[in-house]
Amino acid sequence: MKIFYLILVFSLINQLSFSQPNCNAFLWQGDTAQFTACKLLEDNLNKHYQFSREFHEWVDSAITICPRFAYAYREKAAPYVKSGNFLEWKKYIDLAVKYDSLGYLPVRASLRYKFFADYKGAIEDIELLEKIYSGDIGSSSNGTYHLKVVKALCYKKSGNLPKAIQILEAYINEENYSSGPYDLLHLGVMYLEAEDYKNAEKYLDLQNVKYEFADTYYYLALLYKKTGDNDHFSLCKNKAHDLYSINQRMNDTYNHLIDQIYHQQILKF
Amino acid sequence: MNKFFSLIYLVSSLQFIGCAQSTATRWVDDIVPDSSLDDPGFKICNAEGQVIQYFNNGQAMEYKGEKYTLDSIFFSEYKSVNKPGETGLIRIRFIVNCKGESGRFRMIAMDAEYREKEFDKNITEQLMSITKSLKGWTPKVWKETAIDYYQYLIFKIESGKLISILP
Repeated sequence: MKIFYLILVFSLINQLSFSQPNCNAFLWQGDTAQFTACKLLEDNLNKHYQFSREFHEWVDSAITICPRFAYAYREKAAPYVKSGNFLEWKKYIDLAVKYDSLGYLPVRASLRYKFFADYKGAIEDIELLEKIYSGDIGSSSNGTYHLKVVKALCYKKSGNLPKAIQILEAYINEENYSSGPYDLLHLGVMYLEAEDYKNAEKYLDLQNVKYEFADTYYYLALLYKKTGDNDHFSLCKNKAHDLYSINQRMNDTYNHLIDQIYHQQILKF
Repeated sequence: MNKFFSLIYLVSSLQFIGCAQSTATRWVDDIVPDSSLDDPGFKICNAEGQVIQYFNNGQAMEYKGEKYTLDSIFFSEYKSVNKPGETGLIRIRFIVNCKGESGRFRMIAMDAEYREKEFDKNITEQLMSITKSLKGWTPKVWKETAIDYYQYLIFKIESGKLISILP
């Protein structure tokens, strides 16, 4: 019984992670088709670039062996999200979610908001995940944000700032909260947009205690400009400029990030 | 076990070749040259098989004046087409060569439910025209060589109005 429980827990952990699944878990469940498809990809995918024809031939082979192997569809979808091909990406990621909702709802949610500005769809995915899974819903597919932060950002971008603040602040105050690189910055910016300057300053300052970015100082400068504090305004503006020049700023390999600022915005103060 | 996998791969590959030999490219979403669409003056600098993706050098999108400048161009030049139902995403993908010139433009579009969509020509033609006119693409260097790369822009449109630009 203990072994069964251990396998179950291990499988669940596996389902909420985004890497190659543990093939043996399928074997333990007596699912030889999924095990065989899984082993095929485990042995071969790392030899090829995920955009390449060879990579997709292996994935197609795995799907031929087991047409309900969710991970294969996720791999099939991956390059399309990176080339901005929303039509092909959605076709395959939906199949991954169909065959393993728990495993791939987090992936679909975090990619649809990040690559396609689909805030409504991401909220629906995250709220469905919260309904079907009572544990920690985990992080976005690249690990930058917890999905609760993603949900808060999506509510903000959908125009519901009070709800965004409520979700993000509640998450940050959770007992086991583990700080993401930009969480406090986002909350500070939300308060700034809500014209609650006291809380905006509080969270932007807290962000600087954790990690310092040019972007945070830009928003602090904006705050001090609005409140007429010229000394702090100049200080923060210069700091934003200095950090930007050494590339210490919000950054992502693929996309512009929400609240990310650019050099010209600092210069335009 | 390895023999078993090899057999599966072989059978599957044959199926793949049988079904899709004429369309399979080196990489998914590669843009094949098309003389009926492409500017004959646009040339890539290296071989077709060496065109990489914009993020392969770890530098995301590179434009003179950054995305801030690119956004400013579109938001000042694009004239909204006030038309209900003209909502969704439009992707224009193209190649930037080693000199920073762009070519081989291709467009796809979807509605809010990820279904393929044909937008009003007043919208798509404007976006294509502005995209083709962009002169600030930064040539990318990879392994000390100036390379050609795929770049895309996605336009979020709501009722004919330009809302945001990705990536």
